[in-house]
Amino acid sequence: MTRFTDEELMRKVQEGFIVESDQDMTESYRKALVNQLTVQGDTELMSAPAYWMAAKDAPSTNTMVSATAIIQDELGHANIAYRILQDLGVDTDELLYERPPEKFKNPFGFDQPLANWAELVTANGLYDRAGITLLSDVHRHTSYGPLKRALVKVGLEENFHLRHGEAWMKKLCEAGGEGRELVQRAVDWMFPMGVEWFGMPDDRKRHNAQLDFKLKGMTNDQLRATWLKAVVPLCESLGLDVPAHSDPETGEVELEYALPCEWDADERRWLFDTTITWEQVFDRWRARGPMNEEFVTSIRKSRAQTEKLLAA
Amino acid sequence: MERLVQLTRRPEADAGYESELERGMDFSAVFAETIGRNPDFALEVPEWADPPADLAETAWRALHEVADPEFPISLPDLGLVYGVEAAGSTVRVTVTFTASACPCVEFIKWDIRERLLAEPEIDGVVVEVTWDPPWTTDRITERGRRALKKAGVSI
Repeated sequence: MTRFTDEELMRKVQEGFIVESDQDMTESYRKALVNQLTVQGDTELMSAPAYWMAAKDAPSTNTMVSATAIIQDELGHANIAYRILQDLGVDTDELLYERPPEKFKNPFGFDQPLANWAELVTANGLYDRAGITLLSDVHRHTSYGPLKRALVKVGLEENFHLRHGEAWMKKLCEAGGEGRELVQRAVDWMFPMGVEWFGMPDDRKRHNAQLDFKLKGMTNDQLRATWLKAVVPLCESLGLDVPAHSDPETGEVELEYALPCEWDADERRWLFDTTITWEQVFDRWRARGPMNEEFVTSIRKSRAQTEKLLAA
Repeated sequence: MERLVQLTRRPEADAGYESELERGMDFSAVFAETIGRNPDFALEVPEWADPPADLAETAWRALHEVADPEFPISLPDLGLVYGVEAAGSTVRVTVTFTASACPCVEFIKWDIRERLLAEPEIDGVVVEVTWDPPWTTDRITERGRRALKKAGVSI
C-alpha cells in the first residue's frame, strides 16, 4: 500500500485522480473511506427492519410487493457497501454479526419504530430523499472508482423508493381526513429527524477527511440545504405543515427553529423551543433510539442456529 | 485480493456502458426523481407525421410519454402495452408486467390513467392486466433498447 503521502493524494484527487487499488491509497484515505462505507452500509441495512415493521401494514398484495421490493433493494445496497468494505480488508462478518448493536452507524431515524403505512411512505419520501441527496453527491464527486460505478445501480433503485414515498404521501393527503392527518403526524416527527441527519453545521465542523480526499463533494450544510429544497416544496404542495418555508424569490429554504433542538422520546415529538448543543445531540445518538437493539437482533436471529444445522 | 466483478473496470465485458462512463457521462441524473422529465435522462418520444386516426391512436401515442418508474423507457417501448381500444370517450388499455411480482404495478396504472385523462377527448380509462402472452425481453423495441443501454442496463 501507499505510493503517495496524504498531501500528495489530496492534491491528486482534487485534480481528478481516481483511486482504484490499494496502491493508490494512503492509510488515512482508507480509514475515511471505511468510515463512509460503514455509515452507508449500516444505514441501508437498518432501514430494512424499520421498513419491514410498517410494510406489514400494506393495504393490498400489490402494495406489499412494492414495500418489500424496497426492502429487498435496501438489503442489496447494504451488500454493495459491505462488499467494497471486504475489498478494503474489513472483516464484515464481525461488523455485521458481532459488533455491539449500539456501534451501528445508521442515523437516529432508523432507530425509531415505524408504526403504519403512512409512516412508511413518509419515510420513503423524506429519508430516501436524504439517502439520494447524500449518495448522489458521493456518486458525482467520489475519488474512489469502485464506489462511483456501484452507485449507478443504487441511484436507479432509490428513485423508485422516493417515487413510492411521494406518490403515496400525495394520495393520502388528497384523500383528506385521517389519511392526511396520519401523514402530517409522520412529517411532524420525521422532518426534524431528516434535518438533523446531515450532522453538525459547517461552522462547527473541524477538518474533514472525506472532503479533503474527495470522498464527497458537498459540506453538511450544503447537503442539508439540497434536501430541504426538495422536501419543503413537496410538503408545501401537499398542504403539510413543516417548521420551514421556501423563499419564493430565491428558492432557498429557511428553518423556523434553531438547530439542534430537544427530542422528547416518550412523546415522540420535537421541542422546538428547547435549543440544545450538538454535544447533547451526539449523546442522544450514542444512547441510541428505542429499536436499535431489536432491529440489529432481527437481522442476526437465526444465523447461529442455521450454521449449526448446516454443520451437522 | 479478490475483487467484486461487477464493480471492477472491465471495458470488454460491457463496452457500451463502460465507454459512456469513460467519456465522463454524468450519471448523476439517475438520482433525479423525475426520470421521464429530466432533460439529461429524458424519454425518447417518437415523432408522428400524421394526426392520430382515432381515439385509440391518440391514446397509444400518449402512452409513449408514460415512463417505466425505474428506467427512462416508455411502456410501449418496454413492450408492456398489449392493446388499446376506445369506446365513446372511454379508453381500455390492456397491459402486462415484466414480472408477476413487479413492484410498480400500482404506479404504472396510476401513470396510465393520469396521462390518458390529460387528453381532452378522454373521460374514462380502464386498465386491464393480462399475463397472456407472458412478457419477455423480445418485446422491447429498438428505441427501448437504446434507452436501456443509456441507463447502463444490458438486455
